[in-house]
Amino acid sequence: MIYLDYAAATPLDPRVLKAQEPYLTDQFFNPSASYLAAQNVRANYEAARHNLAQVIGARPAEVIITAGATESINLALNGVSGKILTTDIEHASVLSLAKVRDGVVIPVDAKGRINLSVLESSITDEVELISIGYANSEIGTVQSIKEIASIVVHVRERRKSMGIDRPLLFHTDASQAAGYLDINTARLGVDLMTLNAGKCYGPKQVGLLYVRAGIQLRPLVYGGGQEMGLRSGTENVAGAIGFARALELAEKKRKAETVRLSELRDDLEAFVANEFTDVVINGHKKHRLPNVLNISIPELDGERAVFALDQAGVMVATGSACAANKGTRSHVLMAIGLAPEVADGSLRISLGRLTTQSEIAELKPILAEVIRTQLKFGAAHA
Amino acid sequence: MKVYVGMSGGVDSSLAAALLVEQGYDVTGVYMKNWTRDLPGMQCPWAEDLADAKRVAVRLNIPFKVFDFQDEYKHLVVDYMIREYSAGRTPNPDIMCNQEVKFKLFLDAALADGADVIATGHYARVQDGYLLKAADSNKDQTYFLYRVTESALQKTLFPIGAFSSKNEVRAEAEKRQLTTAAKRDSQGICFVGSVGIREFLSQFVETKPGPIVERETGKTLGQHDGAIFYTFGQRHGLNIGGGLPYYVVGKDMAKNEVYVSTNLNDSHFWISEVALTDVHWINNQPDIGKTYQIRVRHRAPLVGAELIDNNTVKIEKAERAIAAGQSIVFYDGETVLGGGIVRS
Repeated sequence: MIYLDYAAATPLDPRVLKAQEPYLTDQFFNPSASYLAAQNVRANYEAARHNLAQVIGARPAEVIITAGATESINLALNGVSGKILTTDIEHASVLSLAKVRDGVVIPVDAKGRINLSVLESSITDEVELISIGYANSEIGTVQSIKEIASIVVHVRERRKSMGIDRPLLFHTDASQAAGYLDINTARLGVDLMTLNAGKCYGPKQVGLLYVRAGIQLRPLVYGGGQEMGLRSGTENVAGAIGFARALELAEKKRKAETVRLSELRDDLEAFVANEFTDVVINGHKKHRLPNVLNISIPELDGERAVFALDQAGVMVATGSACAANKGTRSHVLMAIGLAPEVADGSLRISLGRLTTQSEIAELKPILAEVIRTQLKFGAAHA
Repeated sequence: MKVYVGMSGGVDSSLAAALLVEQGYDVTGVYMKNWTRDLPGMQCPWAEDLADAKRVAVRLNIPFKVFDFQDEYKHLVVDYMIREYSAGRTPNPDIMCNQEVKFKLFLDAALADGADVIATGHYARVQDGYLLKAADSNKDQTYFLYRVTESALQKTLFPIGAFSSKNEVRAEAEKRQLTTAAKRDSQGICFVGSVGIREFLSQFVETKPGPIVERETGKTLGQHDGAIFYTFGQRHGLNIGGGLPYYVVGKDMAKNEVYVSTNLNDSHFWISEVALTDVHWINNQPDIGKTYQIRVRHRAPLVGAELIDNNTVKIEKAERAIAAGQSIVFYDGETVLGGGIVRS
């Protein structure tokens, strides 16, 4: 079995599970209770928040622990009343919020990168929040977050000098970036940042939203006032502790993993390009996550290839108009301008911590054979 | 020989496709995309079914296509069903689907696409244009197939009709590592997922409460929430408590009244002579006056009956609550002769 869908889900690191275990069993106390045992749990929960804050270069009070990235994004985008500006390759949660809020959606180029001058000219006076994913989950393209942040600062200053009161916030969804890119909020210059434990070897349904001190968001979940009043509900102690451990480990391994996986990825990419001369490599050559390889093979039915690979013991994803996507093609592949038949021949292979060189060596002939076999059946008919 | 096999994503059609491949046919799998509608709180699982069917096609290394019959299905099956219920009858959408979609639209589209014959995963057998009961009398689906034409049957294969049980079908699918081997059978109306007919109809038809009237006394015993929801013979769900159970013995759609009785001997209840409409004989019209077997609903026991004229059946022993709109299917031994729809 070769698992190569780390961009969809990462396995729980055993050390994370070990850290979580006490809080799933005997340390079950409600952190809001007054007895000492509960206060210890509270202290450990706050220590987890402290550790999370440290990894992202923030203060603990700036970290809101949520039930995952989708919730963090909802908290950020629904936390403001003004217009939202985003791109057409964002996660479904960002795009659906932008849609219901009548937001502005700017295009990306054929490699999935934003044009910074288009961005700047799209920031009208009504825009209150800009949400741009750090690294795209499908094609791996990485945006220049620091440069976007300086544009935001520039616009903010201009608004100030012109007497426009509307604030301008910059949110980035860094879920896919954790463990590969710098996620230090101070260095990036972001105001809001989403992270997801389930994408960095932590538990699912746990995430965080970094909220720079001084920003007032509207609460998402009302109740007992937990998480600075923004997201009420009894704290997910085991989740937060697991997340903190996972993020620490991911950060510690970040540089070595980036080098190791980009070498494996590049090697696989070269193999595919050599075997299939008409392959399209999706995403940016340079500004790309080290662990993502998204390819399109014209005339291939990506869903057939995914099923055939599965039957050969290999797990990958496709952006084709397959049943799993309810018959709709990947909006990301459409946004970068792929023809439908090229998008339908796409495969996303995402590597991770358990991926080895021998696994990639084992994958190569299987991948080549499956693609060749499935090419005989022609393009998808969906 | 080129076969297009209708693959629904269930175990029966999966095995049907596998058997045809083994028998040396040039097989193409086809998923028929019929009309579906996601109702609040329930989702028709078509996407999973399509993926399951395609997964099996990939396993069998055969081409796979999707035929889109959504508009036709809505028009020919769903609208028909709503129309019939609105008229106070009890239609059978599966029979209509086979007649109009699977053995007409699908057959024609497959032939036009280069197929020589089609196949489905029905429990039935076919021989020289004759429709025969399945080997497994428990699973026999010929009741749903009686409106298929002889010419369609001449171009149809039923690869699993000879299997002796569903368990055997599952075991054979398992043996071939078909991922649908253990998949549970579909429930409810296929195009709305596992939803009751009541919920489905209330989305399309405006209903008003009306009286539930005791047949013998004319007394109003309670209120119903729309006569359309009640079927002749129905016992439960009347919301009138106490004493003997009440049965629906009739209804008046125009007055929106439902008639009930506790008397199982009510003359309206037991029927031995039935007028048929839309009579369809697959091969030849059966002889008038000759005794055949009939079935008044899927899996109902066979009973002796004769045609007294082209449109009238006389049943040997009176049957309980045969509702207008349901089908009566004639059998001569193993052979399905055809049948008709019970007239109001």
